[in-house]
Amino acid sequence: MLFSGIPFLYYFLPIVLILYFLAPKKLKNGVLLAFSLVFYAWGEPIYVILMVISILQGYLFGLLIGRDKEKRPRRAKLWMWCSVVFSLGMLGYFKYADFFLSNFNAATGLSLPLLRVALPIGISFYTFQILSYVIDVYRGDVAPQKNPITLGAYIAMFPQLIAGPIVRYSDVERELRERKHTLADMAYGVRRFVLGLGKKVLIANSLGELCAAFGTATDPSTLFFWLNAVAYSLQIYFDFSGYSDMAIGLGRFFGFHFMENFNYPYISKSITEFWRRWHISLGVWFRDYLYIPLGGNRVSKPRWFFNLFVVWFATGFWHGAAWNFILWGLYFAVFLVIEKFWLLPWLQKKEGLDFLRHLYVLSLVLVSFVIFNAPDFATVGTQLGGLLGIGAGHDATEAIYYAKSYAGILVTAVVGATPLPKKVVSWVEKTKVGSRILTVAEPVFLGLLLLVVTAYLVDGSFNPFLYFRF
Amino acid sequence: MGGMRMKKVKMIATLLAFGIIIFGFAFWTWFGPDREFSSDERRYLAEFPELSTETLLSGDFMADFEGYTQDQFPLRDSFRGIKAFFATKVAGKKDNNGLYSVDGHLSKIEYPMSESMIDHAADRFTAVYDRYLKDSGGEVFLTVVPDKGAYLAEENGCLSMDYPAFYEKVQETLPYMTYLPVEDLLGAEDYYKTDSHWRQESILDVAQRLAEKLGGDPLPEFERETLTEPFYGVYAGQSATGAEPDQITYLTNDILEGVKVTGLSDLGVWEEKALYDRKELSGVDPYNFFLSGTEALLKIENPMAEGGKRLIIFRDSFGSSLIPLMVPGFAEITVVDLRYIRGDQLGNYVEFDGQDVLFLYSTTLFNNSLAIG
Repeated sequence: MLFSGIPFLYYFLPIVLILYFLAPKKLKNGVLLAFSLVFYAWGEPIYVILMVISILQGYLFGLLIGRDKEKRPRRAKLWMWCSVVFSLGMLGYFKYADFFLSNFNAATGLSLPLLRVALPIGISFYTFQILSYVIDVYRGDVAPQKNPITLGAYIAMFPQLIAGPIVRYSDVERELRERKHTLADMAYGVRRFVLGLGKKVLIANSLGELCAAFGTATDPSTLFFWLNAVAYSLQIYFDFSGYSDMAIGLGRFFGFHFMENFNYPYISKSITEFWRRWHISLGVWFRDYLYIPLGGNRVSKPRWFFNLFVVWFATGFWHGAAWNFILWGLYFAVFLVIEKFWLLPWLQKKEGLDFLRHLYVLSLVLVSFVIFNAPDFATVGTQLGGLLGIGAGHDATEAIYYAKSYAGILVTAVVGATPLPKKVVSWVEKTKVGSRILTVAEPVFLGLLLLVVTAYLVDGSFNPFLYFRF
Repeated sequence: MGGMRMKKVKMIATLLAFGIIIFGFAFWTWFGPDREFSSDERRYLAEFPELSTETLLSGDFMADFEGYTQDQFPLRDSFRGIKAFFATKVAGKKDNNGLYSVDGHLSKIEYPMSESMIDHAADRFTAVYDRYLKDSGGEVFLTVVPDKGAYLAEENGCLSMDYPAFYEKVQETLPYMTYLPVEDLLGAEDYYKTDSHWRQESILDVAQRLAEKLGGDPLPEFERETLTEPFYGVYAGQSATGAEPDQITYLTNDILEGVKVTGLSDLGVWEEKALYDRKELSGVDPYNFFLSGTEALLKIENPMAEGGKRLIIFRDSFGSSLIPLMVPGFAEITVVDLRYIRGDQLGNYVEFDGQDVLFLYSTTLFNNSLAIG
C-alpha cells in the first residue's frame, strides 16, 4: 500500500488512528503490529509470511544472543552469525539470485534456469533493521527484546516499513516501551506528513510524467535529454524525501522520533557532503555495520581504499541487483576517494568557488542518476551521449513544449530542494504579524494541500514510487 | 495572544483541519452511496471488487480496490475540477491529461504521428479493398478529416503533428485511393468548443465539394434548426473545467425529411433509423443525434434524387454529421463503420456492384487505429 493513495489516506489511516488511540497503552504496539502486517499484506499477500519469519528469527536469535552473551560469548557470536546469514540469505535469494545466475550463465556459457522470484517489497529495508537489531544485541548496545510483539512492531512498523528511514532499534527502544502522544508531536507529524505527501504527489509525480514523456519520445533532442536528466534527479529526490517525510511524520504522530533521512542534498558543495545529506539512514547503517567493522579509516591507505570501495559497492548493490547500480556505487566511490585524498582539502582552502563547487556536485549527481535510472549499460551510453548531443534528434519542438509546460513544477522543485522556503517561513514566524498570520495560514495551507493532493489521487494521475523496488 | 498560546492554537487548528478532511471524507466514502455511471466522463464507474480468498491472495482485490476508491470518492467530479485547475492555472501546465484549452476551445493533444497506426488502418482498408472493391468497378476515394488540433495546436504553442506530412503518409499507404482534400475548407471555429467533432452547419462547403467530386447531384438549400438542449461535448466532462456548453445546429430540408434510413441491428436485422435522432439528445453523447451515433451499417435511400448515383461511405464519427448533407446528392448511400462490423462480414449485408466508395476518416482515427478490426 502506498501512503499516496486513496486506500491508505481514507481507509487504512483513519481506521488505524481510531483503533490505536482507543486501545489501552499496553495494546498500542499490538495494534501497530497488526495494522503493519495488514499494510504489508496489502501489497504482498504471500510475502507477509516471509516478513513474519524474518521477524521471528531476529527475535529468537536476539534472545539466544542475550542469553549466551556473558557466559558463552562464542556461542552468542555463532547465533549472531546465524541470524546474519539467515537475513542475508533471504535477501540474497529473493533479490540477487537471478542476478548471480544470469551472470554465471553469461560467464560460463551455461544456461541454468533463472528462479524468477518476485522481489518482496521493502525487503532491503526491513532486513537491514533486523541485522542492526541482532548486531546491536550482540555488541551489547541494546538488551534483547523479550516481547515478540514489541520487536515485531519495531521491524514491521508501517510508517517506515517499505522505504525507510532505516530506523535503528536503539533509537526507538525507549519509545517502544514508553512513549508520549503530545499535541506538539501530533501537529508536527501531520505537518510533516502532508508536506511529504505534497512533495510526492504534486512534484515528484508531475516530474515523473515528464520523464515518462521523454521515455515515449521517438527521437529526443539534446534539450530533451537534459530536461529528462534534471527532471529525474529532482523526481527521485522529491519522491524519496517526500516518502521519508511522510514516514517521519506518521512516526511522530504515533510518538516515535525517527532519524532524518534527507537534509537538502542538492545544496552540497562536495560529493562527501552530498552523501551526508542523501539517504542518511542508509549511509549511517553502512558506516556502523560495514565500514567501521572493516577498519574504517584507521588502517593503511590501500586498506582504506579497499574499505571505501567495498562500502560503495555494497551501497550500489543494495539499491538493486543490476550492474548499473554497482557502477553507480563505484562511481561515487571514485569521487569520494578523489575528494578525500586531494580535491576536498584543496577546495576547502580556496574561497569564492562556491558556485563551481555546487556545479561540480550537481553535474556529478545528475550523471549518477542517469546511471541509476538506466535499465542497462547500453542505455547509460545512449543517455550520456544524448546529453552531449551524440545520437540526439535535431527537432527540439517537443522538448520546448515540455520545458514550458513543466517550467512551474521545475522551478518549484529547484527552489523546494533548497532550505529557502523553510528559511522564509522561519523568518516570517519570528515577526509578530507573521506569526499571527501563520497561526491561521499554516493549517489552512496544509488543509488545502491535502485537498489538492486528494484531487490528484482521485483523478488517477501518474503515481509511481521509485524506491518501492528496493 | 501570547506566543505559546498562538502556537497551541496553530497546532490544534492543524490537527482539526487534518482530522476533518481525513475522517470527513473517510466516513462519507465508507457510508455514502456508490455511483454507477459518470455522465461527465461518459463511462461506468468501478464497482466494489470481488472479495474472495483467491482475489486477496492474487492481489487482484487490492489492485481493483484502488480504482474503486478513486471512482467512488465523494465529489469526484469536483475533485477532478480542482486537479485540472491546479495543474493548469497554478502549476502552469499547458495541458491536463492531454487536454488543452485555447480561447474556450477544448482540444486533445494528438501527438506524435504514429506511422504504425496509420499502417494498421491502411492494412484494414486494403483488406476491404482487396475483398470487395478492387474488381467491383467503382472508384475509391479518400478524405482525411483533420482533428481540431490542426488549427489550434501549433499556433498556440501546443504539441502538434506535422499535418501535411500526415496527409502525405496516409496517401502513400493507400495509393489506390483518390485523395479528396477538405483541410483547406476548415478552421478551428468549424468545430464544437467542447467536443472533438465538427459543426454540421459549418461544413456545408465540405459536403458540396465531396458531393461534386463524387458525381452526386448539386446540393440544395438547407434550413438551420438549433436545438434548445445544451450540448456538453466529450471534452467538457473530461476536462473537468466547467466549460460552457455548445449548441447543436442541424441542417434539414424537404428531401432529408423524405429519406428512408435503415440500420443493421445487433441481431442482423434491418431496422428503421433516423438521420437526426432526438432520442440520443438525452443519452451519453448528444452528438449521436446525427445518424444515431455508433451504427455499424446504415442504408440511406433518397427517393427524390434526380440522378441514380449510389455511394458507399466507410467512415468514423465525423461522417455522422457530414453524411446527411450529402444525402440529397445521391439515390442511396450505404454507411459502414468498420469499428463495429468486421470487414469480412460486410459481404453478407452489402452488395458491392460498382458504387463509388469514399473512405472518410479523421486524423484521430488514423493515429489511433486499433479500433478498426
